[in-house]
Amino acid sequence: MKAATKGATDAQVKSAAKDATAPTKPAVKGAAPASPAVVRLVNLFKQGKTSGVLLALLLIMAIASIASPYFLSTFNMQSVIRAMAFTGMVAMAQACLLILGELDLSVGAVAGLSGVLGGVFMVWLNIDPFVSFGLGLLSGAVFGLMNGLLVTWLELNALVVTIGMTGVYLGINLVISQGKAIIDIPPAIYFLGQGVVLGIPMPFVIMLLVLAVIVFVATYTPFGRYMYAIGNSREAAHILGVPVNLVRTLTFMGVGLVAALAGMVMVARLGTSQPSIGDTWVLDSIAASVIGGVALTGGVGSPAGALLGAAIIGVVQDVIVLFGVSPYYQTAVSGMIVVGAIALDAISRKIARARQ
Amino acid sequence: MDGVCVVPVLEATGITKAFPGVVALDDVSVAFEPGRIHGIVGENGAGKSTLVKILDGVLRPDKGTVRIEGEDAFTHPRLFEKISYVPQELLLFRHMTVAENLFMPFWTSGVHGLIRQQRLFAEALPWLDLFQIDVAPSRLAGDISVSNQQLLQIARATVKEQGRILVLDEPTTSLTAKGISRLFEVIRQLKSQGRSIIFISHKLDEISDLCDEVTVLRNGVKVGYSRMGDVDHRWLIRHMSGRDIDEGHVFRPRTQEQSIVLEVEGLSGQGFADISFLLHRGEILGFAGLVGAGRSEIMQTVFGRLPAKGGRVLLDGKPLKLGNPRLSIREGLVYLPEERRQQGILPLLSVRHNISISTLRQLTTGGVISARRESALVQKMVDTFDIRTPSLERPIMFLSGGNQQKVVIGRAMACVPKVLILDEPTKGIDVGTKTDLYGLMRDLVEGGETSMIFISSDLDELLRCANRVITVYGGRIVGEFNPEVSGKTEIIASMIGETVSGGVEILQ
Repeated sequence: MKAATKGATDAQVKSAAKDATAPTKPAVKGAAPASPAVVRLVNLFKQGKTSGVLLALLLIMAIASIASPYFLSTFNMQSVIRAMAFTGMVAMAQACLLILGELDLSVGAVAGLSGVLGGVFMVWLNIDPFVSFGLGLLSGAVFGLMNGLLVTWLELNALVVTIGMTGVYLGINLVISQGKAIIDIPPAIYFLGQGVVLGIPMPFVIMLLVLAVIVFVATYTPFGRYMYAIGNSREAAHILGVPVNLVRTLTFMGVGLVAALAGMVMVARLGTSQPSIGDTWVLDSIAASVIGGVALTGGVGSPAGALLGAAIIGVVQDVIVLFGVSPYYQTAVSGMIVVGAIALDAISRKIARARQ
Repeated sequence: MDGVCVVPVLEATGITKAFPGVVALDDVSVAFEPGRIHGIVGENGAGKSTLVKILDGVLRPDKGTVRIEGEDAFTHPRLFEKISYVPQELLLFRHMTVAENLFMPFWTSGVHGLIRQQRLFAEALPWLDLFQIDVAPSRLAGDISVSNQQLLQIARATVKEQGRILVLDEPTTSLTAKGISRLFEVIRQLKSQGRSIIFISHKLDEISDLCDEVTVLRNGVKVGYSRMGDVDHRWLIRHMSGRDIDEGHVFRPRTQEQSIVLEVEGLSGQGFADISFLLHRGEILGFAGLVGAGRSEIMQTVFGRLPAKGGRVLLDGKPLKLGNPRLSIREGLVYLPEERRQQGILPLLSVRHNISISTLRQLTTGGVISARRESALVQKMVDTFDIRTPSLERPIMFLSGGNQQKVVIGRAMACVPKVLILDEPTKGIDVGTKTDLYGLMRDLVEGGETSMIFISSDLDELLRCANRVITVYGGRIVGEFNPEVSGKTEIIASMIGETVSGGVEILQ
């Protein structure tokens, strides 16, 4: 269906180009309306190769539901989407950075440190839990900003900076927490991690809000376009008047903010500030982005795709547990999915090229 | 065919190749003989690159055969090793030595066993000598001049033991006049060794100067073939574009005013010093000079891409804050870089996104890009500049060079600039499109809102388009000429640093 709409657009534009007069505008516009909401949804998935990822996800879910009657049960579905909410949020943010040609390996450490700081504010300093929640988010934004400034001002390599900063954040985390969880988190914020709205766990609801914001920014604002432009060619973007370093810095900051959000929601879910929060999120966020069609070289892909990637990882991990396979296989399987996804992508491109 | 019957070393018969939506080649047959230089010309999108990719074995045709030394190359793919393709872009290993670059990947160039630098250096010397590359084989490829790099790239293709057929795709685009004559000497020498050379170029002078025979493609069809001696430029242009284009036609805007739109005072920066000049409203000001004279650096500093060391720039009488391209664009000063691939286009993004990127702020309502207004703008630019694309959503990297350049110009014009600086805008663009571009530039300037600075290494096009021509040599302005009275020779003399009478010397 996607191919059909695209073909139609091509033909229309071409006919418009040929007879230069009347049909030009309606022809191109004609591709857009029909049903704006549907088209917009399709467009959303058209950026990158998202529709293929969606298909893969549905396929895996279909197989899982046939193989196990429990897979589609409310309880299991709730646990799947609750688990993927955290990596999903971080993956969407990571995808933005990858699109503009950078990456942040400190997302997990930022989430952990922000969670611990949130606990410190709430429990040790007795600050209002919601204010503390906000302060936790703020701390994450500050860490992200620091990453961003190191990368843009000092023109350091993001890989090296965020590896180094991972150590710094993790170290501060351990110094503060002494490696122990901060308990007695005020129950007032528990609903953010444990609540269920209309059958949907709160973390997933929060993740949907993050999705809405990120997709909106990436698709409909100049800022989003600038991300893609910078990922395509930083030099060209500079000459085109794109505020390159501002966009890069702010995106790093946004990633820190989202990582802290995921960390704080995890604190609310666990009812304690665990220093180990986020320790597996870095690789998951990058893996999800890659599975979702975001190129590590920048310039292409979509945050929504990264979310679908996170969903695939989440479903597969759930299936492993459901079938009673040793959880030790999880890591290996996650790795295999990543390699499988990029291999599949490369193979499909090769086939397309051979058909040309 | 003349009396001597030579067996073609490479022969393509009835090649047809279609891409989704376009027929790139339609029943094209062409034969290449040893010891001959065969030119292939055609406008952008005529099918030159597709043909070359098929000859090189990169693409498979839908129909037709390729025979190399009489054998079907698609059943014996190793035969493609006899063809050495030299791409237009410089693809060298910049952090490796000249010698390593030359012999890479070693086994095809007769270097077997362990690789010892000293031996490589020694073996490289005769090759460097043959190609007149005057650098030590131990230098890093990234450190040598662009024209040496270009020659090195061709040398690398020649070194291949099997390389009987050399395909040169626009090899002169980044070369100086001196570099070009050096290159031609080398090509003629290779020809005399019996190699078959396929030469793709947009520059008709080069084709008629160098080639023995020429094939013309238009819209994927072979529309002409001739021995070079039998045809002239007019014939080539007529076949390439399908229409008669007068090469002498002048595109000077008639709207040049006395009032000044851009004033540059004592500007200094990387590689140039104390540059002062004026741009009048409604004029095209030509900037001539050799490659490396500092023209691009001056303009990039005016625009703010490179830092200024001193001096100032006044736009409409107001001083411009230097060093900030974003601000310059907002004030109405736009620069189109020479390196289209690296600095001009956003390759993976669609035509739509490429056109609108500089004007997004004006297309938003409450911070959100209005799809309707964006489409309207993009469609207007596509229509105005006759950008040929199957769809607005097509990634720009799939468009031909000329169409990419039109997108880039469309994007700049969407900003409604007061001053537009074009740095080698016709580089790698065919004659028909070039003429279109000149007309477009004149119309834009005569339209009244924009004045232009036109940097070019092609003096002929400057003389046809510019109201005034300023010459730059060694990072300084050395002369100013009125193309209506000044001759080509005195401007060239000024470009190469000879002092001449007649031109108005504005350097104290």
